[in-house]
Amino acid sequence: MTQETPPEDLLKRVAGQDVAALSELYDRFAPRVYGLIVRILPSHEAAEEVLREVFLGLWRESQPLSQAGGSVAAWLVVSARAAAVDRLRQNSEIAPIANPQVNKSKTEHGPNIVAKKPRSGAAKLRERLPASAKSPAAEGAGKSAARAFPPAWLPQPKEIALVDDRLVLLHKAIKQLPEPQRQALELAVFGGRSESEIAIEMGEPLGKAQRSLRAAVTFIKHRRRAVCGTWAANI
Amino acid sequence: MGCQHLDELHELLLLGALSEQSSRDLREHLARGCPHCLERVRDATETVYMLGLNSKPARPHPRVKTELLNQISRKTTPHG
Repeated sequence: MTQETPPEDLLKRVAGQDVAALSELYDRFAPRVYGLIVRILPSHEAAEEVLREVFLGLWRESQPLSQAGGSVAAWLVVSARAAAVDRLRQNSEIAPIANPQVNKSKTEHGPNIVAKKPRSGAAKLRERLPASAKSPAAEGAGKSAARAFPPAWLPQPKEIALVDDRLVLLHKAIKQLPEPQRQALELAVFGGRSESEIAIEMGEPLGKAQRSLRAAVTFIKHRRRAVCGTWAANI
Repeated sequence: MGCQHLDELHELLLLGALSEQSSRDLREHLARGCPHCLERVRDATETVYMLGLNSKPARPHPRVKTELLNQISRKTTPHG
């Protein structure tokens, strides 16, 4: 059986301007990356643009990324998520994809913004927030979150391979979260919401929303470390 | 000063969930090369990667790849 070329080897070739290597990386990763983007962006046209931007970004950044030696898969997924959230926030006409679970939540600030009212979206939410509460992306600082992700923050390919091997098990852990924590996590990951925005959407005080989100993230992090066996301490 | 108090913030930084001020402070701290936090932010990237992949893969239209490769070819082709 032929062994697949590791993505990091393909990235080295991309850094040497090898278009065929980028094409191979695209074939391998585009479905995963696009699946994530379309979960964040309801418009397929916008999602396709973001997908293209992400792979163009990989082409442009291939040299420093290759030198850093981090995981290509991690860069693609984290950058794609950040770019999709940026797009969601930049374009007030784009509302997030419907999520029936999140829509169940009631807020004291009006109808839930996620999907119930396609015309209201991140922009309307931003109008209701004090400047100090807005997330960096909400500020529209003009900096792409993808570009602001330094290669030094990338995990090693072998760490990501461990996560890939145990992905199904890890995703089961998300289902184990108490409902308010799961909702807060969903709003952060796929709605691109800041802690303050999550508090507004869930109709909860900021402290309570923060505790829900942070508890969810801590639980998931510890489960991942335990399942992957990468961090024996702190579990 | 230890920075264990920042440990729960790295995932939130990557998710863009922190306030602007907290995000800027943590980015500046990381830019100063704190080894503890650099290790934590790499660990946080694994968590965000795993969370992001909690979505069904989807096949983009073949046109997207064609356009991408055309765009790259235009960038790399030397002018005659």
